[in-house]
Formats: sequence, structure tokens, C-alpha cells
Amino acid sequence: MIKRMGLAAAMAIVWSQAAIADSNLTVFVSSQHRPDIMRRAFDRFEATNPGTKITIQTGGNTSELQGAYLNTVMSAKDPTLDIFLLDIIRPAQFAAANWTVPLNDQVGDVPTMMRKYLPAYAEADQVDGKLVALPAFADAMFLYYRKDLLEKYKLAVPKTWAELSVAAKTIQEGEKNPDLQGVSFQAAAIEGTVCTFLLPYWSMGKSLVTDGKLNWDRDTALKSFALWTGMVGSGVAPRNAAEIATETTRKDFQAGKVAFGVLWSYGWGLFQGADSAVKDKVGVAVLPAMEGGQPVSCIGGWQWGVSAYSTHKDDAIKLVRFMSSPDTSKQLAVEASLMPVFPDLYQDPDVLKAVPWFANALPVVTAAKSRPVTARYNEVSDIIRTQTNAVLAGSVTAAEAATQMEARLRRVLR
Amino acid sequence: MARSWRDPSEATLARVLLAPAFLLLALIVVYPVGRLLVTSVYELSLISGQPAKFVGLENFALMMDDPVFWAALWNTALIVLVTVPGALLAGLALAMVANMPFKVKWPVRLALLIPWALPLAFVGTIAAWFFQSEYGVVNDVLRHFRPVKIIWFNSATLSMATVCLTIIWKSSSFVALILLAGLQTIPAEMYEAAEMDGAGRFRQFWSVTLPLLRPSIVVAAIFRTITALQTFDIPATMTRGGPGNATTTLAMYIHQTTVDFLDLGYGSALAVSMFVISMVVSFFYLKHIRSVA
Repeated sequence: MIKRMGLAAAMAIVWSQAAIADSNLTVFVSSQHRPDIMRRAFDRFEATNPGTKITIQTGGNTSELQGAYLNTVMSAKDPTLDIFLLDIIRPAQFAAANWTVPLNDQVGDVPTMMRKYLPAYAEADQVDGKLVALPAFADAMFLYYRKDLLEKYKLAVPKTWAELSVAAKTIQEGEKNPDLQGVSFQAAAIEGTVCTFLLPYWSMGKSLVTDGKLNWDRDTALKSFALWTGMVGSGVAPRNAAEIATETTRKDFQAGKVAFGVLWSYGWGLFQGADSAVKDKVGVAVLPAMEGGQPVSCIGGWQWGVSAYSTHKDDAIKLVRFMSSPDTSKQLAVEASLMPVFPDLYQDPDVLKAVPWFANALPVVTAAKSRPVTARYNEVSDIIRTQTNAVLAGSVTAAEAATQMEARLRRVLR
Repeated sequence: MARSWRDPSEATLARVLLAPAFLLLALIVVYPVGRLLVTSVYELSLISGQPAKFVGLENFALMMDDPVFWAALWNTALIVLVTVPGALLAGLALAMVANMPFKVKWPVRLALLIPWALPLAFVGTIAAWFFQSEYGVVNDVLRHFRPVKIIWFNSATLSMATVCLTIIWKSSSFVALILLAGLQTIPAEMYEAAEMDGAGRFRQFWSVTLPLLRPSIVVAAIFRTITALQTFDIPATMTRGGPGNATTTLAMYIHQTTVDFLDLGYGSALAVSMFVISMVVSFFYLKHIRSVA
């Protein structure tokens, strides 16, 4: 009886809260970004802000699909979404289109506020003096390797791509398993393939775009293509490299079919899962460098933006500030192994207990390079990924692709 | 001699009765097409931060100089040239089979309807997995005959071939339905008469079936050509236009330019080019129909 009364009382409280809820916020989170864990953060926000109710809308599990969806919603000036997650490549576009509420007046002194974050995000989220969004979680590309296989063949973690090719070949020959891929990287016509092209390009000390202008180096571009086609040619990478998307690499590695994987940080949590064939056999390292070059990574990561068409802007801003706080960043790291956006958290004992390799990840994320920053990034991305895809598919030569890429990039970045 | 509103003149009545249809057409055809034409001579990008600027024919000049436009145009033409005759032939064969005197007709008809009823994006996704090099059923079957793994989507030619094959599979059932209706209007006496004259089955097909089926074939060809010009869903879901731009169609490029790149001015110019091509093709067919009639 008492129990039942308690239940009734609880229901009454829930009901009364719903009744006074004057603000329903809709949040767009992709299915790839652990809406289950995000929900817990939103629950905490709701608990301290009884006037607000948060609904999650999920969709498209690739950056391109999310981008296309947001483009349709925002160009229609649709007020459905209040806040959304933006890939690091998008703030420039959203700033130019005026699709987010600038947060400059909402966060106090902007430089003081942004100094707390990792520099890459502080930079990406401020466009022409406008604070476009606030960092949600960090990301970068890493080299995942099979600790057990490296130990078995007494191999060191490769420091250069040449060393990686040799190591991968040794493992493949030793294992005699035709299904074992030496290395898996992305060359399907997807966003990640932009990084595939840029990693060796950057490693050779070149940058593609400087101050919004194309900084093209044909020789470096050809060497970048040659690195990847060489791996396919020698059998270290699979012949169908042009079919491989981010999730292909993740699934193949998780199934134990890959010795070295080039992948974002989200792989780790899944590789340690109960249904993983490589649980406790995975190491994470800095990506190799080109011969004589520097090791570099490609920076990823996501931002929270407030829609310019939201009808609850004040509450939405409050929520975004909460989601971009050290507490939430820590929670996301511990519960979903999403990389923190605050440097201190990489030494936090709770975080390191959940994800030990974060201890070595900070220098990688700090040194990781940004893909070209331009409002017309979608076009830049399309040019780089379709040409890289075509070269890896063997449907055009590297020389033709380099010529096309340069001509088309010049049109966009004029 | 003012007529009352209860008894309007014939002309007035016609105008009044046609007005709703005209308004509807104006709203859903004339206005958007007009708007498209206007936008095509403006520089209008949602991400430039600039208001629309009149640029005359500059977008069209850019188009002439755009390798992706020409690639997309060529791919679209290729899809029309391959899949229209392909679907007509396959559809004719299917219609002939379905027209055979089966005791129970509905399973055949149902089999004809299923590919037609499937959503295009669905078919593209299924086909993408069919031809996937690692896990695809096509390579699995081929493996029994020869040990080489074909990576379909690694080659421009093979990608285009698989896309065309998928489109033919998907659209031939629609063609078959139109042709089946046509076949059923051919009186049985015609065949009896032909048989009396000593015509074999092939001769009957050539001299009776085909000529009498011609109006249906023309109708099917028109529908198929127009939809083939607009090909979007199947390559978009199957190959995403790849490898490179080897299977990108004009419709896909328009979508990419407007929805992904938010370049409405240039996207409208591309759309105008597609509109013109569709109009020319329709005009050609309509003229042909008149000459048949």
C-alpha cells in the first residue's frame, strides 16, 4: 500500500514537472554518437532544470548524411531542432550561412572561456570573431594495431609507413591467412577519405590550403597517392580498398581480420566489447610518418551549436554550455570513451581507468591537423574524396587525378 | 442582355471550370520552373553570406567549363542509351511470358509487379550488397566457376554495367505491364489468320505482334526515357556516383550542388540544362506519336 502511494506520489511529481515544462528542446545527435550516453547527460540537465524537457532526434550515421540532413533543415529555416552536433569541418559553413546563434555574449569573456579547451576546437569554433559553437568531444585518427601479432613476430610499433608495410607483410606471410589484411584504411568516397589523402601530404610538411587559398604541391599529392596504391599493389592493403568506409575498417578490425587499422578514436570502446574478437589484443599509437617526415593525425571531433531558428534560444544556450562543460566531457569519456575537449581530463584518474590509452593521446590530438577551413568545405571534401577513391579503384591514374583535383580545387578556392 | 451567374456563357463556364486546374498547374509547375529559370541567372549560395547577385549567363559559362557536368551528362546519356532498349527488350520478353495461357495467372502477374513496387533506393541498396566484392552474392556464385574475385565497384566500366543492369531489372517490369496490356488488345483471330496463311511463330511475332504492339512500345519508351534521364536513386545508393565520378548522373550532380554545396544559382543552371534536355526529348517523342497516329 505504502509502495503504491509512493508510486502515485512519484507519478504526481513527474506529471507536475511535465505540466510546468515550458521549454521542449529537440537535440540532433547521430546514431553513431552514443545517444544512449547523451541521454544520461540530458537527464542530469533536466533534473537541475525542471522547466526543460529534452527530446533526442537521431539520424544518419556518417558525417555526410548528417551534413545533408542539417542542410535541408536549416536551409528551410525549420525551427524543429534547437541544438545539434556539428562535425569539426562544419562551423565555417554554419557561420557563413548564419545558421547558429553566436555565443559571444553568452559565455562571458570569450578568450578566457575558450582557452580552457584544446586549441584546435577553440580555433575551429570561432569564425571571423563569431563563437559559432562549443566543443562537445574531441577525436583524431590513430593507428590501431594487434599487440598479440606484433609480439608473436617480435615487431616494434612502426614509426613510418614503410616500416608499417614491412611489418604488415611479415605478419601476413607468417599467418598464412588469405583473409588477413595487413592494413585497413578508408578510400570509399566518404569524408574519412579526405584524411586518407591528407595524412601523407601533411606528413611531408605541406599544407593544402593556407589562408583560404590553395597551396597545391603536385609532387606531394602524387606521393600521397603512391603510398596508398603501393600498399594495395603489394597486397598489404586489400584490393577492394576503394570500397572501404570507416565502419568497414572498424568491423574488419573487430573481427580480427586486420593487423593495422587507421581509424578514429571510437574504435577502442567497441574493440574492448564483449563481442569483439580482439578484446585485450589491441594497441593504439600515433599514425606513422612518411620517410623523413613528421607523424601527423587528422583532427576530428564534434561541436554543439544552437540553431538560429530555435524558438527556445535561451534554454538551448544553457543546455549547450552544460554539454560543453568539464563535467559532461568527463562523463562522455568515462562512459563512451569519447575524447575530452579539456586537456586536464587526459590525466584524470577516472578517465584513465576507463580508457588507459588516453594518457598518451593528448600530444596526438594537440598536434593533429585540421582539414581545410572554408565555408565551401563540402565541395573541397567532394573533390578530394572522389579523386582519391578513383585512384584507389584504379579507374583513373594518379597523374590524371592530381590534375583534376588541382583544377577543381582552384575553382572552389579562388 | 446580361446573363445571370446561374446561366453563364459557354466560354465563361469553360474558364471557371478550368480555373482550378490552371491554378494548380501554375502553382506546382509554372511557378517552380519560372523560379528555377530566374535563379539560374543569379549567383546565389546559402554559404556565401552574400545576397543574390544577377550574373547573366555566367553560371552556364561555368557549366561548359566544368568536367563533372560533362561527365555526369555523358553518364546520363549512357544510362538512357543502355537501359531504355534494355528494359524494352527484357520487358517485351517478360510480357510475352506473362501473356502465355497459364491456368493460374496471378503468380506471374505478381512476379511482374514486385520489382516495380520496390522503392528505387531499396533496389539500389540491395544491388550494392549483391555486387559487394567480399560479401556479395554475385561473387559468391561466380566463385564456384572461377577463383578470381571481381571487384565490381573498382572499375568505371563494371560499375556502370552493374548500375545499368540494376536499372533494367527494376524498370523492365513496368515496361512489361504496359506491353502486356498492349498484347491483350491484339485479337486472337489475327494469329489464327496468320497461322492459316502458314506463318510460323517467329513470323507471327514479327508481322502481327510487333506492328500491333508499336503504340504500346512507344508509350513505354517515352516513360522509360524520361525516367532514365532523371536517374538518381539507384546509382546514389549503389555506387554514390563512384568510383570517382564514373556513375554520377546529372540529377545526382544537381542534388549535390544544391543540397550538399548549397550553391542554388549554379544548381539551378544545371537543372535548367536537364529541363531543356527533357523538353527536347519529349518534343521528339510527341512528334513521333503524332506521325504514328
